[in-house]
Amino acid sequence: METIIKNTITDKLIAGFTASKNTLFGDGILREQAMESFSKLGVPGRKSEEYKYVNMEQALKGDLAAASPKPISEGQLNSLKVIGNAIVLVIINGRFSAEHTKFNNNIKGLQVMDIAEASGNAVFQKHYAKYADINSDPFVALNTAMATGGVFMHVEKGTVIERPVHIIHISSSSESMIIHPRNLIVLEENAQATVIESFVTVDASAKVFSNALTELFIDASAILQHYKIQEENENGYLVNTTQALQKKQSVFSTNNFTLSGSLVRNNLNIVLDDEQIETHLNGLYLTKGNQSVDNHTLVDHRKPNCNSNELYKGIIEEKSTATFNGKIYVRKDAQKTNAFQSNKNILLSDDGTINTKPQLEIYADDVKCSHGTSTGKLDEDKIFYLRARGLSEASAKKLLMHAFASEVVEHIKIDELRDYVEAKITARFA
Amino acid sequence: MANEILEEHINSDYKYGFVSDFESDSAPKGLNEDIVRFISKKKNEPEWMLEYRLKAFAYWKTLEEPTWAHVSYKKPDFQDIIYYSAPKQQKKLNSLDEVDPELLKTFEKLGISLEEQKRLSGVESRIAVDAVIDSVSVKTTFKETLSEKGIIFCSFSDAVQEHPDLIRKYMGSVVPHTDNFYAALNAAVFSDGSFCYIPKGVRCPMELSTYFRINASGTGQFERTLLIADEGAYVSYLEGCTAPMRDENQLHAAVVEIIAHKNGEVKYSTVQNWYPGDKEGKGGIFNFVTKRGICLGDNSKISWTQVETGSAVTWKYPSVILKGDNSVGEFYSVAVTNNYQQADTGTKMMHLGKNTRSTIISKGISAGFSNNSYRGLVRVAKGASNARNFSQCDSLLMGDKCGAHTFPYIEIKDKSAVIEHEATTSKIGEDQLFYCKSRGIDNEKAIGLIVNGYCKEVLNQLPMEFAVEAQKLLAVSLEGSVG
Repeated sequence: METIIKNTITDKLIAGFTASKNTLFGDGILREQAMESFSKLGVPGRKSEEYKYVNMEQALKGDLAAASPKPISEGQLNSLKVIGNAIVLVIINGRFSAEHTKFNNNIKGLQVMDIAEASGNAVFQKHYAKYADINSDPFVALNTAMATGGVFMHVEKGTVIERPVHIIHISSSSESMIIHPRNLIVLEENAQATVIESFVTVDASAKVFSNALTELFIDASAILQHYKIQEENENGYLVNTTQALQKKQSVFSTNNFTLSGSLVRNNLNIVLDDEQIETHLNGLYLTKGNQSVDNHTLVDHRKPNCNSNELYKGIIEEKSTATFNGKIYVRKDAQKTNAFQSNKNILLSDDGTINTKPQLEIYADDVKCSHGTSTGKLDEDKIFYLRARGLSEASAKKLLMHAFASEVVEHIKIDELRDYVEAKITARFA
Repeated sequence: MANEILEEHINSDYKYGFVSDFESDSAPKGLNEDIVRFISKKKNEPEWMLEYRLKAFAYWKTLEEPTWAHVSYKKPDFQDIIYYSAPKQQKKLNSLDEVDPELLKTFEKLGISLEEQKRLSGVESRIAVDAVIDSVSVKTTFKETLSEKGIIFCSFSDAVQEHPDLIRKYMGSVVPHTDNFYAALNAAVFSDGSFCYIPKGVRCPMELSTYFRINASGTGQFERTLLIADEGAYVSYLEGCTAPMRDENQLHAAVVEIIAHKNGEVKYSTVQNWYPGDKEGKGGIFNFVTKRGICLGDNSKISWTQVETGSAVTWKYPSVILKGDNSVGEFYSVAVTNNYQQADTGTKMMHLGKNTRSTIISKGISAGFSNNSYRGLVRVAKGASNARNFSQCDSLLMGDKCGAHTFPYIEIKDKSAVIEHEATTSKIGEDQLFYCKSRGIDNEKAIGLIVNGYCKEVLNQLPMEFAVEAQKLLAVSLEGSVG
């Protein structure tokens, strides 16, 4: 029975590709190869080790139309802007919106365009689809085959972009649909940039399944600060793959905040492909209702003398499910690696579930690697301490949860963004 | 003492690698329904036992070999294995004098002298031994002494004949024949093993022990152990294993089931020293074992301690189902892999009852070209309030060709659970080595010292006799692994 459902879903997606492939941008051969790989991999079922805690078949069931453009008002867009001086790039239903993107490429060394129109660009050709492997994951394959648009951003050698770049992914539809936004961000040597990706739903009254993929290339000595704010509504289903490749002495920090959405699956893969690289991964997930949030991270240490540091925290309420699956992979050559990973969870309800699987796979001997995970309730002693000082039980708990989340929030370096997330958390526990 | 260890270093490749020369009674190679019937007939089993075997065999045929473990090996050809091999015996034995002298010599070489045990029977500290060679139990010592207390300790086949009610009640209740590929295979073709029942309120006065030995060539060993501690009973059980050095890979697929009733306690210790293959990774035992215990009653406790130094490939997860309220599960493990050995081992703690506690301490050491993985599951079911787990998995790497991996799974469905897991991977510190060497301790001995210190938490859990053996074994297994 399970295989029948699975096959129908896979077939449905393949049919969707056949119907629309002539309208899609770029390399047709690559798309065909990706689709072939997808048809081999299929939609992962519950028996799939990588997707065992998240029901993808359920999420992809039913009719899912291809994305259609939908206009949104300037007022709606303004409410989504968080940072005053940011360069705002808008993607609606998987397509780059030239209408709403006011940026006119007037900053030296920075180039931004619709990925669907970048085919002729040499930098695009050099990096597109080179890092996210179509044979490794069905959603990467599906996105590579079906991508309709997104942002291509190129920061030239030595350029420091002071203004943060804010990419807003908007899903908006009155009928069920599936969308495939695709971004490529390239930082050349010594370049510096800050990129915020946010995922929101506007006027969505039906299911929107978003299969978003972002490829990041961070060349030698470049510094990239990356943030993801995921706050889709109860109709939002999001599979968000982030594939990063780092070169010598580069610094990459990524901070992932999952605040809402019916189902969120994050695949974050970082390859440390040279020496003296620094990588920071932080994540916070606050789940409630029937939400399901699944964070998969892979840090692949390929060369010696690199550091990585990972911290993921979650608060689970009501009937929601949270999954953390983090892997640190240290290859034979990657001597003198320091890799740390920590996952902490608070479970507030008896109907909630936490699945956590922190993994170490290590093939080099001169390394320092550790991981730790803990799951529990709020500390009774701490609650007592606060109550003894006159706080009510409710406000004591609120304070403690806020403090728990703050450890991740304080990694945000942009004040406006930090205030925004803080306010969301405060509202959540109010 | 130091000299002895040194000497052992020099002489010790795998000292249990001899083959004993006694006639054995074997089934033809291959596996089909007739072989299952042959084994059953050979053991003179009742009809229900044969039915159980055939049911398991039919189910096994529908299964495929699991591939999820982090190991790679050439799949055994299940039609190229002898499923039954027994040292030939003419008649039932009453005293040790009637045992084949060649057999006794084998046990002496293994360091478990049955005769000596007999002679020392008056002495306080002693161990009752059930020796299993090529899947058949050859002799159980101290049977009479134990039976005075009402303790049943005998071979599995004897138990089928003499205590069918207990076997029918408990066999397959913890590891059903549908559990996994190798458990199904074992249920179909198991040839013998040990059975132990401790009655209500009895504290077993001595350590019980099974010694497993694969001897004949081309055979697989499939034994079953069933341990039952009734209300308030206590037993400490030891298991040891060795095999001759052969170029071929031999399969060992055992099943161990433990049942602890209310206030019962079982402590199960293993020193696993199957032949690990030679330095090029040729030969060695495939050790695919299903071990599981259930804390059925309130306040019961099951504790697994294992020292894994042998086998070419190990695939083993001693687990505890914590069903009774306030029950306790423990898992202490040291796994050492050298040369081309591969180990994928760990535990499962299933918290079902209220106020259940579990502790997992796992120490992995990999050297040479080996791969050593910890894979464990801690599951807290809905309603299992106040569950507590602490896990610690440390890995030590010696050399840059080996791998150490940690795959913990944690699944929690109850808000009052408190679960902690931590893992580290590192190598022996240069400063630690320097400290020892500056005090005149040579390299090899310093490593032995550091490794033993690293494993101390686990070794402390072993009964005295085993702890000494385990310490030496650790030193021997890692010999020459750091240059």
